[in-house]
Amino acid sequence: MNALPRPSTIFLAAITTLVAVLLYSPLFVPIVSSFFTISHGDVDWSSPTLSTYRALAENHDILAALRTTLIVGLCTVVLSVVSGTLLALYYHGRRSGRSILQFIIFLPFLMPPIISGLALLIFFREIGLERSLLTVVIGHTVFVLAIVYRTVLMRLQSMSRTLVEASYDLGATGWQTFWRIILPNLSSAMVGGAILAFALSFDETMITILVTGTQSTLPVRLWAMMRLGFSPDINALVALILMFTVLLCVLAARFLIPRQMATERS
Amino acid sequence: MSKAGSMQPRERRLSLLVTVLAFALPVIFVLVPLAIFLVYSFFSVDQGTIVYAPTLGNYVRFFTDPIFLPVFWNTIVLCVSVAVICILLAYPAAYFLTTLRGRWRYALLMLLLVPLLMSYVIKIYAIRSILGLNGFLNKALVAIGILQQPSTLFVFNMNAILLTLSLLLIPFAILPIFLSLERIPQTLLRASDDLGASGLQTFLRITLPLSLPGVASAASFVFVLAIGDFLTPQMVGGISGFTFGRILYSQFGTAYNWPFGAALSVALAIVVICAILIGERFGRSRGTSV
Repeated sequence: MNALPRPSTIFLAAITTLVAVLLYSPLFVPIVSSFFTISHGDVDWSSPTLSTYRALAENHDILAALRTTLIVGLCTVVLSVVSGTLLALYYHGRRSGRSILQFIIFLPFLMPPIISGLALLIFFREIGLERSLLTVVIGHTVFVLAIVYRTVLMRLQSMSRTLVEASYDLGATGWQTFWRIILPNLSSAMVGGAILAFALSFDETMITILVTGTQSTLPVRLWAMMRLGFSPDINALVALILMFTVLLCVLAARFLIPRQMATERS
Repeated sequence: MSKAGSMQPRERRLSLLVTVLAFALPVIFVLVPLAIFLVYSFFSVDQGTIVYAPTLGNYVRFFTDPIFLPVFWNTIVLCVSVAVICILLAYPAAYFLTTLRGRWRYALLMLLLVPLLMSYVIKIYAIRSILGLNGFLNKALVAIGILQQPSTLFVFNMNAILLTLSLLLIPFAILPIFLSLERIPQTLLRASDDLGASGLQTFLRITLPLSLPGVASAASFVFVLAIGDFLTPQMVGGISGFTFGRILYSQFGTAYNWPFGAALSVALAIVVICAILIGERFGRSRGTSV
């Protein structure tokens, strides 16, 4: 790519910078306004304040929604990691009907969330399941299952067969091989998948809006508040969530980036 | 069959049980709801209660009512435009990434993808405030002198939906394009250089054609995500920015006509499936031959 003349490189760098600015400006707005007061579109830079964070600590409504989101996220992670791993093992075991199974698992991820959400909404109504946090957890699990499944399956497929064969040769039973060889090798993929699943669940809005009962998760609560405009303490919350999300990303990258790439870097 | 026959009966029963268990969860919670949903599209509503008798009425209404087809068509055009804008911005950025070396390349890629994981609702809200009458965009345009006074051109209409969706979905275009660019063997570019091609010629004849599969995947990703979104149009579209997703959503809220909503969803699903298939088709045909 060295053949490119200088002006084109400058042009490309300029576009890239523009894209970065476009992507980050919507994140910048709430963070700035969490520390400064904004009136009529003008930021008052002179007086930084932490009052928004103090107000947040007293906003029980939002904190309750945050707690609900965390509960839903943890349940979703447990359910999706267990079932995603089992399904990946089933797929890898070359049993019958695999491609159909894989197709079904990917469906909710490929279809627009509004379709998955509405299908579940009607389904819950038909089987007489009242809308509640349970239905939200089911909706989230169905949605994130494909990601966990895919992550674990990719690790399984890159795992050397000789490891398993060596274990059998040394006289280990199927269970011993599973617990001592396969599972430890999968663990980092499972953790990575779990983090992705949690991040997706944490921000899932469209399916949640459709299948939630009286208790709302944080994105749904924010969505409801948005029509009236936010109180300043929401900005503080957003700033905190952004920091938390960045942390999650870094963690996920650690578990998911292949080993040889990590060693290459060091 | 002969292989199954040689198994122990207990083993065979276990194997069948495992298969049933593996299929149970995806079938019950994915396939059955979608099937019920499809069946619902053939029902109708009479005075607030659902009539469980098969009818094609919903589909007839969709095709004959003067409201739905134009909105459907406009939404498709809108989402194609979003895909085009995203690709025009993402391609140069992805290309720039591949010119960087080692650690910088992936660090910058990460930087451009991280905004994806940040709260969708908050981003919509922030973008709306940027586009609004007192927003940053208007202030900047007035300051440069392009506008005499702040304009409401960018909020609560179709433009607003177009801009907001593009801003939200750019990362989904960057990743597939980057991956396809990265896969192009450097030897090809060097060979082209050795044979006396200029930088531009190499780009137009080697790099661009070989990266088209990535562009196709990017376009189908962005299109599918844009057309399925009902939050953004609801939030920034105002009264004039009416999209298919909003109409669909309203059938389950204010309009209360679930069967008709189900029929609209079937139409949406068909468009989405077509987009995915087109993306797959063009994303693969050249990708495998390299």
